[in-house]
Amino acid sequence: MSALVQTENLVKQFGNLRALDGLSLTVQAGEWIAIMGPSGSGKTTLINILGGLDAPTSGRVMVDGSDVASLREAELVRYRAERIGFVFQQFHLIPYLTALENVMLAQYFHSVTNEAEATAALVRVGLADRLEHLPSQLSGGEQQRVAIARALINQPRIVLADEPTGNLDEANEEIVIGLFRDLHAAGNTILMVTHDAGIARQADRRIELEHGRLAQIPVSNSKGEQQRFSHLR
Amino acid sequence: MFWRIVWRLLYASKARLAVAFLAISSGATVCAALLNLQMDAEQKLTREFRALGTNVVVSAPRGAEASEARLLDAGIVDRIKAIHNRYSTTVVPFLYITARTHKLAATNPMAMNAASEQDAPREPGTLVILSGTHLNDLEKIAPAWKMVRADSGDLQTQSPCLLGIKAAEQLAAKLGDALQLDFADRKQLCSVTTIVSSGGAEDNQMFLELPVVQRLAGLAERISLVQISVPGTPEEIQDYTGRLAQAIPLAEVRPVRALAEAEGRLFQKIQGLILATVILILVLTTLCVLATMAALAVERRHDVGLMKALGGSIRRIMRLFLFEAGVLGFTGGVLGCFLGIALSEWIGQRVFGVELSPRFAVVPITLGLMIAVSIAGAFPLRLLSHVSPVEIFRGEA
Repeated sequence: MSALVQTENLVKQFGNLRALDGLSLTVQAGEWIAIMGPSGSGKTTLINILGGLDAPTSGRVMVDGSDVASLREAELVRYRAERIGFVFQQFHLIPYLTALENVMLAQYFHSVTNEAEATAALVRVGLADRLEHLPSQLSGGEQQRVAIARALINQPRIVLADEPTGNLDEANEEIVIGLFRDLHAAGNTILMVTHDAGIARQADRRIELEHGRLAQIPVSNSKGEQQRFSHLR
Repeated sequence: MFWRIVWRLLYASKARLAVAFLAISSGATVCAALLNLQMDAEQKLTREFRALGTNVVVSAPRGAEASEARLLDAGIVDRIKAIHNRYSTTVVPFLYITARTHKLAATNPMAMNAASEQDAPREPGTLVILSGTHLNDLEKIAPAWKMVRADSGDLQTQSPCLLGIKAAEQLAAKLGDALQLDFADRKQLCSVTTIVSSGGAEDNQMFLELPVVQRLAGLAERISLVQISVPGTPEEIQDYTGRLAQAIPLAEVRPVRALAEAEGRLFQKIQGLILATVILILVLTTLCVLATMAALAVERRHDVGLMKALGGSIRRIMRLFLFEAGVLGFTGGVLGCFLGIALSEWIGQRVFGVELSPRFAVVPITLGLMIAVSIAGAFPLRLLSHVSPVEIFRGEA
């Protein structure tokens, strides 16, 4: 397996606060990583840096062969459009676009739109009858499923999910996590921030952050793969 | 997808954009009305200036000394009329002489025509400038003159004369009075059919038919000058004058400078006023659109941050907003064009009392201006290019 994500001595400073403090991490292609830790431990900051939304203060971030920290603005735009799929806790859908148009918006920024493909993506997440609904006409779980369809429509190399079930009830949480399981089974690489140990257990492995550092040795959820993480011990 | 998003943007912010649309369509209405007036004003003013009468004079060259040499051959009138002009011109010859004038006792025109030698006055008479011309054309080149006419019975005289108001006072003559004109050893009787008030030198003159004055002066087929009323812009009049000078090189052709300059100045003032008003309207419309778009920019910070996070380049995102502003400018401009043209027609009828024709060149000009105003007014949306998605998601911006 090849390393899809590799961070070395990653530091992110906000004034006097160190959100990330020398974090080194490797993620293999096809892995599902659960990132845990208390509030302010640097989980979202790590996701933002990996997604090219924020720049590290120092350190190196290699994603799919690209040094993200050194990319210029135009390159970052293409990087986000082509290699990253975001799923946010707050869903972040455009309120005046329908479910279908929200998915097509990601296509539009990537290259060209294909309504049939966008429709199929929404059908896959169980929203065949919600294509023309505005976000305000959808439940939280449905909105998150639209966000997942949008994140996947351009077949990104990595899906970055920041507490995707944080605003969902139990039933919708199960639906959304089911979708992530399917994604993982299809070979997608997922980095998911979560506070839910139950969800984290479904990932290939968990990493826990504290004060911007790895709080404990990553735990593999699948036996026989312990050696994969030996470099972090 | 592009137009789909633009439409959604327009629909989503319809309340705010309605204000901008109202400002743009109002601005377009006034601009279109003024531009239509401005474009039609040239033609209307040309007609109005025609009402001011003579604006070109043809006379003998100034250097000529002998009195006979200062006269022109009457045939020049036909040569002038033969020169093509875009508008129809009025060409009127004049022959000026000074004659002694007596008021006769008999006032009945028929009796006056039969007046005998013994009725002639013995005093030397008053010197009056006689102006021989085509009386029927006089009103065409001097439409502003005030003319008081005698009853129709008096007009049956064989030699009618139009008497300037000051000359009438000097002679103590009134409508219907008979006058005797003496020039050298020749005499001419005439009846005052009209009192003329011009406010100028013509008030001291007497107007008779050209052949009558030519006969009295013994100057058959001779005239002093030709007055021409040429409609057109100052440039067109200048062009006509040039062609006229070439066609009749032995005569002096000169525009009536005061009138030509007044026309030019009035054109400039009207055009300047309209231009200044249009600029003012454009600035006010831009400010109104700017205020609306500034409020809209605050509302759209989150959307722009999200679009950037999804891989939207700032160029593509801004293109959406600029096209949205362009659509607003276009539709507001179209509505404003129709309203503006209708408004200018209403102004034309109510203010100027003329029928203004719609000038379709106004439409692309107004549309272009309104689209430019909308895009300029959308400047605050361009400031969204600096939005950082991560700050938006963190709630810091």
